[in-house]
Amino acid sequence: MATILVTDDAAFMRMQLKDILTKLGHEIVGEAENGRLAVEKSAELNPDLITMDITMPEMGGVEAVREIKKHNPDAKIIMCSAMGQQGMVLEAIQAGAKDFIVKPFTAERIEEAVTKVL
Amino acid sequence: MSLSTRETSKHITILLNGTLTSLKSVIPIGHEIERPRLLQTPLKLEYGVLIGITGDVKGKLILSGKPSTFGTIGTSMFGMELEGDMLESFSGELGNMIAGKLATSIYEEQVEIDITYPTVLQGKTMVSGYNKAILVSAWFADCGEMEIYVLLD
Repeated sequence: MATILVTDDAAFMRMQLKDILTKLGHEIVGEAENGRLAVEKSAELNPDLITMDITMPEMGGVEAVREIKKHNPDAKIIMCSAMGQQGMVLEAIQAGAKDFIVKPFTAERIEEAVTKVL
Repeated sequence: MSLSTRETSKHITILLNGTLTSLKSVIPIGHEIERPRLLQTPLKLEYGVLIGITGDVKGKLILSGKPSTFGTIGTSMFGMELEGDMLESFSGELGNMIAGKLATSIYEEQVEIDITYPTVLQGKTMVSGYNKAILVSAWFADCGEMEIYVLLD
């Protein structure tokens, strides 16, 4: 079981992710609705894994990944975004994300990514 | 510098084709698409989601329909009844997924765009500030009509 911080500006998407991850046996220790909150909650909660949307108000996901990795190089982050173009995936991976899931996702794809990263 | 008519037509075609491909890919419900038409009247709607498009092409994508249409699509995609705040959030996310898939599909045609986070529009709303607007109606089986507006700035 891993502790997970879920980041997405859409409450609906956070609910979906929480539901899938909880059913997989993980514990959701926090939620963030933008990148800035994710950076703060990552430092506060030190989760085993963070899921990160890209297009969000205040601070986007790729910038948040860079900030989190700056303070915690070992942080494990999975991007979860509607934007799946090659350039975006590369930018996220270069920023330090371990995997990239394109929305809409399936529970199986989430499980595969979490198992790989943890 | 203003775009030439030829460039504008090319951008509309790319956005429109990309949006329809994206719609098919994101929403797993059979649907029929009406012929696209140029919007000649002000764009008015009562419920919908707006996504800004920046980059090589600048504009907006708007999905509009009855809240119940968005709700039925959500139920079909995620197997749960949606109402209130969750319906609003899903509507925004549906716009995000369709615009995100659009960005991905047209990237393969060497057109690079970024999208803004979604704005859900509720109540009598009039949208202005665009140069051209194309409307396509999509009829989803058992869900109703969704109007898709592609606006070029």
